[in-house]
Amino acid sequence: MVDRDVRRRFRTGERDAVSAVYHAYGRLVYAVAYRLLSDRSLAEEATQQTFVKAWRGAESFDENREMTPWLVAIAKRTAIDIHRREALRSATPIDSIPEGAPALVTRAAAPEDIYDVWEVRSAVATLPAEEQEVVRLQHFEGLTHTEIAGRLGVAVGTVKSRSFRAHKRLAAALGHLRR
Amino acid sequence: MSVSDNDRIAYLSGEQVESLDAAERAELDELRAVLASPASWVEPTEDLEDRVLAAVAAEVAANPSRAAATEPAPTAAPAAADETAGPSRPPGRRPRFRLPRLTAPRVGFALAGVAAVIAAIVIASSSGTSGPAPLHFAMVVTGTPLAPNAHGSADLTKTASGWRIQLRATGLPHLENGRYYQAWVKNAAGILVPVGTFNDARKVTLWSGVPITKFRTLTVTIQLANGNPASSNRRVLVGTITPAK
Repeated sequence: MVDRDVRRRFRTGERDAVSAVYHAYGRLVYAVAYRLLSDRSLAEEATQQTFVKAWRGAESFDENREMTPWLVAIAKRTAIDIHRREALRSATPIDSIPEGAPALVTRAAAPEDIYDVWEVRSAVATLPAEEQEVVRLQHFEGLTHTEIAGRLGVAVGTVKSRSFRAHKRLAAALGHLRR
Repeated sequence: MSVSDNDRIAYLSGEQVESLDAAERAELDELRAVLASPASWVEPTEDLEDRVLAAVAAEVAANPSRAAATEPAPTAAPAAADETAGPSRPPGRRPRFRLPRLTAPRVGFALAGVAAVIAAIVIASSSGTSGPAPLHFAMVVTGTPLAPNAHGSADLTKTASGWRIQLRATGLPHLENGRYYQAWVKNAAGILVPVGTFNDARKVTLWSGVPITKFRTLTVTIQLANGNPASSNRRVLVGTITPAK
């Protein structure tokens, strides 16, 4: 959440307020853009454009409202626009385009997928560093507990404990998704 | 916590669990899929912030009349309905993650600043509705008469270890040789609680374990390493948290 005073200052383009909003939401906006574009450079471009558009529209944004849904909507639309631009730009024979290239990504992520990424990232950010790493190695890199123990140089029991605590905290943080 | 809750957590953490039915596994697999997604872990490059700030600054410079606008109408409608629709879930759609509803940790945080005035902080949802306490805040920090050129921002995140405060401020001299900055939070009774010491404000991570709802005033003082832990009262930062309406 960004303080109401910060949101007011953001409207005027005050640098520190823009920085505060970026620090509050920048990584999450980037995650949403990456979810749609699967390309780091394009996701950064989308992030940059999102904050510019947010400033343009800030005057009419109700400062009493939470910025999250508003920024996610802008980020989604911006990423889709960039995706379409890249698809039109590509004049390379399709056979020579590597798999996973943005121009070939035809399925846009469902709205709930985008919001889930936002909420999961927010929840992961609240974990202690050692628990974040276990969760990342387990899910993102697909390692077993034994492999994680070897990677981190700790006992398997330690990994299992950290994993259980981490997932318990995530369950608590994400419990509202049950509504 | 019920046995079934433990089973779901164990399944998420990679254990073999036989007691879950197919529907429960499917829902938990959806969460695992999000955790496995690169989007959940990728980080932007360090210079993206500078590029964002530069882009917004360019837009501000190109539209000075917009930037000069003051308080907007508090009930102004969003610029475009689809821009503010947000990622709302389709009506009637059941929750994606059927996870055990555990008691959320009590929210509390304290602030540490570096020679800057901490702007007012709203600590609860401005909508006034009940619900999970916010876990993340951002604020602007500004200078005092003792440090008029200081300014920056701070990012506060509730973690299991307490509230992590990431402060970035400029306009303050680096202190050393027996001098340092000390941040405090103060409650209505005037009780001071130290929340961190540092030498340089440009990028510092601080930690607090006291609730900001109780300790609403933040001060930063310049201290001497002379064995006296009390505040010097040489305040270079003062800020007060504004309660939610």
